[in-house]
Amino acid sequence: MKEFFASLYEWFGVIPLYSRDMGDQLRGWDITCTDYIATPWYVYIGWIMIILTGFIYALQYHIIDNSRLNKKMHWWLFALLIVALNFLIAFTIPFNTLQASDYCNQLNLSVSDCIGFGLSNAVWSLILFVIISTPPLIRRFSTNCRLTTFWKP
Amino acid sequence: MARLFIFAIGGTGSRVLKSLTMLFAAGIKPSSQREFEIVPIIIDPHKSNEDLKRTERLLGNYQSILNEVGLNNGFFNTKITTLDKLVASENRISGSFTFNLQQVANTRFKDYIDFNQLSEPNKALTDILFSGKSINKRGEEVDLLDIEMDIGFVGNPNIGSVVLNQFKDSKEFQEVANNFNADDRIFIISSIFGGTGAAGFPTILKNIRDAMNNTNIDGRGFLQDAKIGAVTALPYFNIEKDIDSPIQKSDFIGKTKAALYYYKDNVTGNNSVNSLYYIADDYSGKPYKNDPGDNGQKNDAHFVELASALAIIDFLETPDRDLTCVGGKAVNPIYKEFGIRNDSADIKLSDFEDNTERKISLRLSQFTLFRKFLNEHASSAWEKQPWSMGQPELNKQFFDDSFYRTNVTEFLSSFGDWLMEMSNNKRGFSPFNLDSNLDSLVKDKTVKPGMFSSVDYGLYDDRLNKHSKGKTYRSSSQKLISLFFKTTEDILISKFGIKN
Repeated sequence: MKEFFASLYEWFGVIPLYSRDMGDQLRGWDITCTDYIATPWYVYIGWIMIILTGFIYALQYHIIDNSRLNKKMHWWLFALLIVALNFLIAFTIPFNTLQASDYCNQLNLSVSDCIGFGLSNAVWSLILFVIISTPPLIRRFSTNCRLTTFWKP
Repeated sequence: MARLFIFAIGGTGSRVLKSLTMLFAAGIKPSSQREFEIVPIIIDPHKSNEDLKRTERLLGNYQSILNEVGLNNGFFNTKITTLDKLVASENRISGSFTFNLQQVANTRFKDYIDFNQLSEPNKALTDILFSGKSINKRGEEVDLLDIEMDIGFVGNPNIGSVVLNQFKDSKEFQEVANNFNADDRIFIISSIFGGTGAAGFPTILKNIRDAMNNTNIDGRGFLQDAKIGAVTALPYFNIEKDIDSPIQKSDFIGKTKAALYYYKDNVTGNNSVNSLYYIADDYSGKPYKNDPGDNGQKNDAHFVELASALAIIDFLETPDRDLTCVGGKAVNPIYKEFGIRNDSADIKLSDFEDNTERKISLRLSQFTLFRKFLNEHASSAWEKQPWSMGQPELNKQFFDDSFYRTNVTEFLSSFGDWLMEMSNNKRGFSPFNLDSNLDSLVKDKTVKPGMFSSVDYGLYDDRLNKHSKGKTYRSSSQKLISLFFKTTEDILISKFGIKN
């Protein structure tokens, strides 16, 4: 699971948005610089991203499920909320670690790495929201948003 | 399906028929086991009568809507058809709702009866029977014998009874007789205080009951013992005083008494009618323009016409066993009147007695809510809400199409005019705040309190989306009618507490 999320966030090595050291830190490289035995942040943040995106999807499509909040503009507003929250989570956690110097001192981490990881998480949350809400399979259970996608109505 | 042949005579006949069409459009149905197909036949020599033209147009739109969407969709749930649809193709009569009175247009009464060909004694007798003055369509005073009948019989039933007697030899009557079955019924609408209705009712009734002696027609036995109902409107409106007009309000009571006296022997006295409804209102309200007919005669809709239309629904609910005839005579003739709970100048739904309220409140409110949505909100919801975007789509193209723009819009506009006219009339019928917010649409009915209870177009869209979810429809037009019926019913029951 760790390597699955790692490959997603690192974009399969194609377009890394942050350094390899940040990747090691998120894999759980411990403070004594011996092994990957610390908190596996990739897994935690990955699951938080999935759950949060799923919850906000459910909020719009099945909990609020309101005829006043079913236009594409509203889809984009909820998408913005998802992206912002996921960015904040993915930025804040490594940033706090960075501020507290609570990591292996051989790793070279910076704020731009935190921003890069936040962006990566935000983009994946957006992709997930598109994936959940585009095919009619799940959204057809909604009453007022059953035809709402990012391009209509 | 059994049929109800409705003979709507004169201006009142047309206006009552209009009210009945509105009730049917709203989905009001008689609570009887049997379904009836309605065959209206308007009898009025005054072809340029605006009331007649409005009713004809309304019936035409109703028929077009029904042809497009079919039955069992809630609104427009009673089949209304023209007489020609019942007739074999080789013997077609005009496909209209009006009875074609022969030799009336541009004809003086004396020419109609070939006065100049009569012998001197007959001329003298005719002079006595048809003495007096009236006005012609140019407003000039003329002898009664010189009256031109294009504008009706101008309050002269003695002329009407002669001219309308051609009914028995008409193609229309033959077709009614030829297509009349044992389960079918007949209803006659007339007023008693004018010319056309007062003369037409007993004339038509007599010709039906005397069908056995009419060799021109088939199905005579069925017709002779037909279950016949009738509503006769006694004076119910006021007219402006105009000393030059042949129509005077002061004559209404005298004419009514004379006609009732005649009916005592020839209608009620000989048990010709199975069920007769007397409708009247002595409330002296806002006067109508005094128009004998030469200006088109366009009278505002009146509550009494709605009450008269309810008489037809009541007649259809009457079981067969109460409408038995033997030898052309009703075995147990029924006579009814109509009353309301409160003597209110502006009648609301709560002023009705329970039975009437239960019969019409919900459906009439539904149709009003349907019209309000289409007028005020449809354009902001189409192609934006799932109820509109789901298959078959109710999209802009549908709302721009002639079916919607012509038939539906015109019908709903007439419905709005009808409500408005009844509301402005005195005595008025104003159960709805037509221009208010949705939550105060129905007077005397407050929206049930609750945290999320406001009734607005958001809630309307929610309910439309809910009722359209997972449903299949034959066509967009059927979806429009069926979906809005279900949705408006839901909103009015759950939010306004109107009982079904």
